[in-house]
Amino acid sequence: MSWINRFTARTFSLAFAALLVLASIGGARADSKPAFVFEGKALAVAHVATVGGKLAISVRDPGLQRLLHAIGASLTWNPGERYVLFTTAEPSIISFAVGDARYDVGPRSAEAPFAPYESGGTVYVPFDELMSALYLAPKRDGDAIVIQPQLATFDVRGGASGSTIVARAGIPLRARVVSESATQLVYAFEGVGTTLDRSRAIRAAGIRAITFVQSGTTRAPVTTVTIALAPGTSHGTLQTDDRNGFALAIGGGLPSPETVADETPAPAESPSAEPAAQTTPAPTGATAVTGIDAHAGPNGYSGDIAVAGDATYDWHRLRDPDNRFWIDIHGASLAPGIADIDGTDPVTSVRVRQTDATTVRVALSLAGQKRVDVQPSSDGVKISVYADDAGDDLARSGTGTLGNAAGVAVAVAPSPGGSDAWKFAPRSGYVATNPRLIAIDPGHGGSDPGAVRGDQREANLTLDMARRLRDILTSRGWQVVMTRTTDVDVYKPNDSAHEELQARDDIANNGGARLLISIHVNSFVNAGPRGTTTYYSKPGDVPLAQAVQASAAARLGTRDDGIVKSKLYVTLHANMPAVLVETAFLSNPDDLAKLTSPEWRQKLALSVADGIASYAGAPPAAGSAANQ
Amino acid sequence: MKRALVLIAVLVIVALTAYFVLRPHNPIPDTISVYYTKAADGTSEVSWPVSMRPMQSGESVAEHTHNAALYAAVQAIAGPPADVQAVRFPPGTRVVSVALDGTTAIVNLSGDVKNQGGGTFGENGEFKALVFTLTAIPGIDAVAVLVDGQRLDSLPGGHLELDQPLHRADF
Repeated sequence: MSWINRFTARTFSLAFAALLVLASIGGARADSKPAFVFEGKALAVAHVATVGGKLAISVRDPGLQRLLHAIGASLTWNPGERYVLFTTAEPSIISFAVGDARYDVGPRSAEAPFAPYESGGTVYVPFDELMSALYLAPKRDGDAIVIQPQLATFDVRGGASGSTIVARAGIPLRARVVSESATQLVYAFEGVGTTLDRSRAIRAAGIRAITFVQSGTTRAPVTTVTIALAPGTSHGTLQTDDRNGFALAIGGGLPSPETVADETPAPAESPSAEPAAQTTPAPTGATAVTGIDAHAGPNGYSGDIAVAGDATYDWHRLRDPDNRFWIDIHGASLAPGIADIDGTDPVTSVRVRQTDATTVRVALSLAGQKRVDVQPSSDGVKISVYADDAGDDLARSGTGTLGNAAGVAVAVAPSPGGSDAWKFAPRSGYVATNPRLIAIDPGHGGSDPGAVRGDQREANLTLDMARRLRDILTSRGWQVVMTRTTDVDVYKPNDSAHEELQARDDIANNGGARLLISIHVNSFVNAGPRGTTTYYSKPGDVPLAQAVQASAAARLGTRDDGIVKSKLYVTLHANMPAVLVETAFLSNPDDLAKLTSPEWRQKLALSVADGIASYAGAPPAAGSAANQ
Repeated sequence: MKRALVLIAVLVIVALTAYFVLRPHNPIPDTISVYYTKAADGTSEVSWPVSMRPMQSGESVAEHTHNAALYAAVQAIAGPPADVQAVRFPPGTRVVSVALDGTTAIVNLSGDVKNQGGGTFGENGEFKALVFTLTAIPGIDAVAVLVDGQRLDSLPGGHLELDQPLHRADF
């Protein structure tokens, strides 16, 4: 009997080995449904398969959908399509494609053990790779696969005033402060494991070392982060965010998420990521930067960049406290022997590089938020840096041309007119049947409050400003038609935006008004943006927009955000010149203080009325015909 | 014999010419530009390059262009890295699908896009970024927006006209 047993055993082991070989070579797909656990609860994953011993999951699996929802991620895939795209909370894009083992996670590319494949009207993607890209780690625990969220990235970013730690994980983080002393900070993150190195030395101001320790169980992990500080280092409060991460400032003030820097770091892949210029060989071009000279000027510092030939340039600066300024001279090469020069207060250094084949960059580090003037000169560009500190309303960028270079075109619209009525043609073919009539549209109203902050509603503020504008215009001899005079919908309650906006345009169009002013209050998801903007849509709106914006910017004390073209319904469908004035931001504290001040709203009305006067002059005498 | 050789040579030349003339030309560059608008002013657009997956075997030019549009739209809706102060679509906004109709990309967004903050600032900045991103792809010059598969004339309480395709020149 023993030979039979041996034969049977050999046959079975051979067959088993053959199956294993087949599975690994042929990518045999077999259904198997292990139990999945996520955050302590069973996750109903039904559509998984194995490919060469590796797990694949259907993108339509309900358990996967639930998982994505829980971690703030989403999927874009449609039947028959090759691309399978996941967006994480971070945000980062995970890109798979049917038939291609290569997959991308943000800017990084990797190779999966097998390519995603179609089966039964869905696509199966490599499970382990997807989980890892989502900062999740599948871990065996008995018969179950525990999907354990990971604290996966931990960046220490040095800045002028200290360091900021930014970390990301697979789920929204809940931080527990274990201890905070002068030399050590300890935070615990429940429910999170970590793939980070146990300990690392950090070369950042104020931080000596960071240690990660994972404890707890596979199903209920805890990651403890210990940050050893140099004595005397201050720190901020650890702030978790809605992108599965947290930020912590060390040795300086953390920029509040509510504030917006005017100049922000460019995305990781961006080639224009600020002045970290790489040196590249100089090309042989006609135009050359032939010298840099710096000297103390009458009001501070003066730098001359000598440029021989035609070129265009653009300059940029970062916002305080990162006071770097740089100018890129395009279509130029750096002449041999031109080197960095020492700065003179308030400029701390001047660097010059050939950043690409046709661009020379000159970068200045400024000692504070200084005003900088950039002007073309007879032999290049003159940069003047003023010694006194400027406000934070400085321009952040500009452009110019040297010699006869084309490019950098600046659209020049006709300047606002004087007192001549109809100096600017309205939309071609439009004849104001009542050239004394001005239509005023208080934005929103009734069932649509517009932007809301606390007890302040956009609809009420716009109505108040519109009434004030109406009173000023009528006192100056204009006729005024308002699209609404109380807090109502113009068309009907809960109408569509289209019906509502068309009803407002109808009032202006049917009245044959000479121009339409729509009054709005702006808003954003954070407090950063502020200022006054005049939006327009049609070419014929531009002079009116310029006149209104110029008048408002000069008087209101808000930031001048200029005129902006957009495809706004109300201005687009008005037959006459029409603008939409976004007076100020309800979401910015300084702007809000202005909006809630009746004196400021009166000033707004007055400045818009003056803008109209500068555009259209005085109202024509009663009974006069439209002057085309 | 000589005649046969000449004939073969002519045939080879014709075949090679036909191959180079008729082979599908991939118009999509290796990197595509994805735009965002700066939160600082809501109007300045900034782009960053994103590597495009090479055209796969069996993938037609039309399909590859569609995939580029889909990839670009998903990138634009997600926006740049979190620390970049960009105008962003409302949380949860997702690209449901993208279709191409001639030179117009039809982008179907999830209903989350209706949760606008209330200002022209955000709406203008969001759609400008989407339109600039898609129209940077060769062969696409307009973007039609659907929300949950439906055509909308404007977002609720919104300002932009969305019932016609958007072009770069609209911004």
